[in-house]
Amino acid sequence: MVNNNIHIVIIEPSTIIYEGLSSILGYSDDHFSISRLDKMDDIPNYTMRKTADVILINPAQVENNLKTYNTIRNGLSQTKWIGIIYAYFDQHLLSVFDESISIFDTPESIISLVHRTADQSEDSELSTQEKLTDREVEVLKLLTAGNSNKEIADQLNISTHTVISHRKNLSQKTGIKSVSGLTIYAVVKNIITLDNFKE
Amino acid sequence: MVQAKKTLVLPEARMSELIFENPYLMLMLEHFGISLLIQDKTVRQLCKEHNVSEDLFLSFTNLFNGFQPSVTITYSFTDLKIITLFLRNTHQYYLEEKYPQIRSYITQMFELNDQSAMLMVEKFFDQYFAEVKEHLHYEDQIVFTYVNNLFDCFEKKQAACLPGNYSVSDYQEHHEDIEDKLEDLKNLLLKHLPLDNDQQIRRKLLFSLFELEYDLNIHTRIEDEIFIPLVEKMERTIKTGYGK
Repeated sequence: MVNNNIHIVIIEPSTIIYEGLSSILGYSDDHFSISRLDKMDDIPNYTMRKTADVILINPAQVENNLKTYNTIRNGLSQTKWIGIIYAYFDQHLLSVFDESISIFDTPESIISLVHRTADQSEDSELSTQEKLTDREVEVLKLLTAGNSNKEIADQLNISTHTVISHRKNLSQKTGIKSVSGLTIYAVVKNIITLDNFKE
Repeated sequence: MVQAKKTLVLPEARMSELIFENPYLMLMLEHFGISLLIQDKTVRQLCKEHNVSEDLFLSFTNLFNGFQPSVTITYSFTDLKIITLFLRNTHQYYLEEKYPQIRSYITQMFELNDQSAMLMVEKFFDQYFAEVKEHLHYEDQIVFTYVNNLFDCFEKKQAACLPGNYSVSDYQEHHEDIEDKLEDLKNLLLKHLPLDNDQQIRRKLLFSLFELEYDLNIHTRIEDEIFIPLVEKMERTIKTGYGK
């Protein structure tokens, strides 16, 4: 599902290394989407448009730019940083990253490391859990009864914006986007009965 | 979506080997109207035999193999005939084979599973299928006919026959909706609908949905990224008096 995509940015001057990483990651999992940036300075511009969950970076980019690195890093509290190691680097330099991978690591261990690292950075675990909140259940009931966003907002005394955000969460948790699909869900989970539905 | 092994296809490749690697290419051949008994022919030979431009064939094959449509390929207006045929054949496959197959699995599931929820799934699918049908018929009857006329007009180099206020860019939208509901169905079957003794049939149904989705994804991309831009280009060429 598109909902819990893990967005990975790779900052690596070597095309061979970049292509290698990107095909290992890209083919392991539909949820990874991968972009490449030339240099660290491009990050702030990029992250204004798109969020980066994980940044894989060649430590040489950071080596003489620790100050820039820290500034960028502080601006992106959600993002995790992983160093790509294929040459000798000082231990101190490596300690500025959350994790590091070596180009001699197996594809499996790289994939699982990226997953683990990304999972810490967001509450994706939480949001994919199916448990609905009371408010979401209320929205779901009104939705399946054929109410529009505006009507739901009026009945629950909340803004349409909030209704939309509840609906987004509902779709994320259940994996179902259409109202007719959500109706089936609600019947199966005994949130509404078929009699409600027929009316 | 099934991940095909990523081989960038070249004209010298043997079609049979490509299919061993990615069986979905069988569907692609069918959509091109090429029979499955391909013997040991290469892509180049097949294209020649069936009058399909090599660039076009390769670009579709590579799409099926998981590559982005190449931006360096320029399609010619004569490709439109083949693309339209391809899209029409694909529609026919959906309408006459794939959707009825899915529908019959749902019926079978319903027989094994006497829950009221199944009745709703049936209804959900029927409504969904009705929407799909409407969309496909619209394309078959309005869009493709329009493009055929446009093409005739282009061949004769007439500007007068350009239909005044219709443009191919008017249609595009529906696709997303079609794919969303397919996703909904998969989620219902895998996560929410209680399982009775319908395990086997549910698996068949899901496989069938995945197959449809694979083909549908590519179909959408061909329409949105190749077909529509090419028709728009032809519209512009006609409007500007063939570059005179």
